[in-house]
Amino acid sequence: MEGIITAPKLIIDLKTTDLDMKNFTDNLYDVIVIGGGITGVGTARDCAMRGLKVLLVEKRDFTNGATGRNHGLLHSGSRYAVTDPESAKECIQENMILRKIARHCVDPTDGLFITLPEDDLNYQKKFVEACHQAGINAEIIDPEYAKQIEPAVNPDLIGAVRVPDASIDPFRLSTANIIDAKRHGCRFLTYHEVIGFLIDNGRIKGVRLRNHKTGETCEVHSKLTINAAGSWGCLIAKMAGVTVNMFPAKGSLLIFGHRVNNMVINRCRKPANADILVPDDAVCVIGTTSDRVPVETIDHLKVTPEEVNTLITEGEQMAPALASTRILRAYTGVRPLVAKDNDPSGRSISRGIVLLDHETRDGLAGFITITGGKMMTYRRMAEQATDLACKKLGISRRCETATTLLPGSEAENDHKPDPYNYTFFVQKGRHGTLTENIPHEKIEDRAMVCECEEVSVGEVKYAVDKLNTDNLAKLRRHTRMGMGTCQSELCACRAANVLCQVAKLKVEKSEQDLANFIAERWKGMYPVAWGETLKEGQFMSQIYEGLCGLNQLVPKKKEDQK
Amino acid sequence: MKYDTIIIGGGLSGLACGISLASKGQKVMIAAAGQSSLHFNSGSFDLLGYDEQGNVIDNPLEAVKQLGPEHPYSKIGAAQLNILANQAQELLNTAGIRVKGQTGRNHFRLSPIGVAKPTWLTIENMISLETPDQFPQQEVIVANIRGFLDFPVEFLIDNLEKKGIKALLKTFTTPELEYARENPSEMRATNIAKVLDDETNIKKIADEINHISQAQDLVILPAVLGIANLSAVNLLRKYVHAQITFAATMPPSVPGVLIQTRLRQYFQSMGGMFLEQNKVVRGDFSDDKLNSVYTENLQDEPLQASDFVLATGSFFSGDLNTNYKKVFETLFDLDVDGSEDRTQWAEENIFKAQPYMKYGVRTGSDFTVRKNGKKVNNLYAAGLVLNGHNTVKSADGEGVSLLTGLQVAENILKK
Repeated sequence: MEGIITAPKLIIDLKTTDLDMKNFTDNLYDVIVIGGGITGVGTARDCAMRGLKVLLVEKRDFTNGATGRNHGLLHSGSRYAVTDPESAKECIQENMILRKIARHCVDPTDGLFITLPEDDLNYQKKFVEACHQAGINAEIIDPEYAKQIEPAVNPDLIGAVRVPDASIDPFRLSTANIIDAKRHGCRFLTYHEVIGFLIDNGRIKGVRLRNHKTGETCEVHSKLTINAAGSWGCLIAKMAGVTVNMFPAKGSLLIFGHRVNNMVINRCRKPANADILVPDDAVCVIGTTSDRVPVETIDHLKVTPEEVNTLITEGEQMAPALASTRILRAYTGVRPLVAKDNDPSGRSISRGIVLLDHETRDGLAGFITITGGKMMTYRRMAEQATDLACKKLGISRRCETATTLLPGSEAENDHKPDPYNYTFFVQKGRHGTLTENIPHEKIEDRAMVCECEEVSVGEVKYAVDKLNTDNLAKLRRHTRMGMGTCQSELCACRAANVLCQVAKLKVEKSEQDLANFIAERWKGMYPVAWGETLKEGQFMSQIYEGLCGLNQLVPKKKEDQK
Repeated sequence: MKYDTIIIGGGLSGLACGISLASKGQKVMIAAAGQSSLHFNSGSFDLLGYDEQGNVIDNPLEAVKQLGPEHPYSKIGAAQLNILANQAQELLNTAGIRVKGQTGRNHFRLSPIGVAKPTWLTIENMISLETPDQFPQQEVIVANIRGFLDFPVEFLIDNLEKKGIKALLKTFTTPELEYARENPSEMRATNIAKVLDDETNIKKIADEINHISQAQDLVILPAVLGIANLSAVNLLRKYVHAQITFAATMPPSVPGVLIQTRLRQYFQSMGGMFLEQNKVVRGDFSDDKLNSVYTENLQDEPLQASDFVLATGSFFSGDLNTNYKKVFETLFDLDVDGSEDRTQWAEENIFKAQPYMKYGVRTGSDFTVRKNGKKVNNLYAAGLVLNGHNTVKSADGEGVSLLTGLQVAENILKK
């Protein structure tokens, strides 16, 4: 661990919007970062670590875009080795870094690239060579051995390569970045949308914001603005009067009801639809499809029946057990793919990082766009954007994010279950060294809210007190409450009540929150509503509408809109 | 082994049907696979609570006349429904399930989150309201067991206060309950009921409740007492000075388990054979008849009967099922109603009427089922496995279960 600097031990605090807006707007910032996804929070952290005065603005909540809607795969880069060597190199380097700095978010599973009888085994050789060239430790193994180390794999496989893929939790990774950015003085405004830019003499001098909760608008001034809004970034650029040639690509995924595989399973062929199966905590995720979609539609994407069919058919090819495994839910995200400036048609889009200095490119000073890339490479994207920002601001401090441990990862997680306190073990897996902040001495703090995911009242208190949790969706992201096999059938009501007490919310607001949460859970189940999932859906309706009458507490207007 | 009637399914409809048949001297067997929907019962029996537009129904006997022909009640007919409803109420009372309410006029039950819902019969110990806002007392104490999270008191009190009731939250506990809390998963309604099913423990909680209330108070408690019988509830009433009543909790439902137990005991007391945890897995058909069935644990033993009743419940009970191609009935592959187009099964908004709720086994007016388009003369369907009704939207679950169970019994006896 030499060369690794431990983060200073400071209080954890994720508070955002409840602070007086005046505190934010009176000041001149060095940098405003637009976008609360992993790229945005990573960039805000890097800027703050270099001593800049930073404000991050997000129109909804953290991780609401692609960050919260992907595989949760810590790529080894193998997938891109043949087709996109540049991305492959970026991936493996970042992979090794994240395993250290964010180890509490990573499950080091390793991955397999399997060749099935219908695939060309010659591709394997090419694949392994390309991996080695990118610096990825890819090792051809005996298919029989592959079956031993991953019993869920299709037994008909004729080839297997072992690679350092892993599983990573995007919510935890984002949270750790936010906590650390705050420790370095960064400020955050969620539910604040950029509705305009303050442009003076060819220079962006700030943004105009609308508070989505109050409807108020305000202006914030800064020396630099960094556009890190993912697929929404092209709309932000357009608002600033410049063009970013973006081709948003929709990717749909399915979550299965238990962890069928222990290693990431990929197909050893040219990247195609639905050929990655990732184990994530207690479940596994198959994905993705890939379809370009018009920018106007990215706020309203839905999983189609055809996508579901593709995902199931392809998934069964990799792990036949999926055929008899319940599908928990379906979801879809959108990748911010960007065409290089010399490729307006978007034919040869790379997954590489795109950093645009709009001053040199478009003659618009004070504005930077960081886009393209992947969740995997967020740290490097942040580094590149911050390097450019520092250059413009005349700051010479170098980037330290590759060696500074994120909050939660300061100590090694021994991964040894304690049979007498399994909950604590599970929570350690979720929060790493931050687990010490979870109260568990008192009996009421050990009471179980969500049994599938072992979320205790104490963990809810931690999420409320330290992670600024005031609704069930945030609680879900921070603790996995409601993400397990029962999909929040019973725990949602329990959690809503506990949250209402702990966070001292208005009861009416809490009731609405519960209704919204149940509606949102069903939306993800609806595209795969058959078999066990339909049963659970019926059970959910029976309990929340039939038994409780929760539907009567949903305002009529809202119901019509849905 | 030969029976007069074999009933597949040990929930409300199967038991009602079995009791009715056994009381007329039939040799009846019920084969139950596991838990039934009674495990999330509200402590009430709904007959018909809402019309198609979602309006509250005052008189279900009048409102049934407006139902479409596919609804099970329409197959029974309004006049007969009234007779069966009275019969059902008597059956419950005789089985030791004391209920209040009348068939021609709905009253209201109080849901775990404090919403008033129209219902037909409510277990005597449970709180009930004449109208949604008419409450027995203007001031109440909501008393919860410390650490019991399945009684959402915040919501309950908020909704009581919206009705103009002053509700005060108090909590209590005893060393036994605290001990149970050491294991966090022990704090579920049915587990607590087991802990409290003991006179010494009841005395202790009575003392605690007496500490937090006075004789003139009305105390609302979560329905976590009386899982095997009502002696715990009666004892508590004896020892507590204040007036007490119970409100429904989140599942598992203690009143539901009691209903199930009482009905099963009543059935058995009349000589009925109740086969527990024994799922029927196949049947032998010939021509237009089902001859025998086989269970999981008795694979080589044909269980024969003159008549059979399928009372296996809706999707969540497992016999009625879907895969990503079709809707089907698992056990006998009977004809079901349900769209062939998967995209038509559900609505994206969970609070809209879900089309799949009305899917179920197709029957004739006498509730005999169809297989490959042909009537099976001695196989009837009863309860939530039937097509043509939406339990969640209409609030008709217990009514459909009880009344179709009784009607099928009558149809069998008529033959």
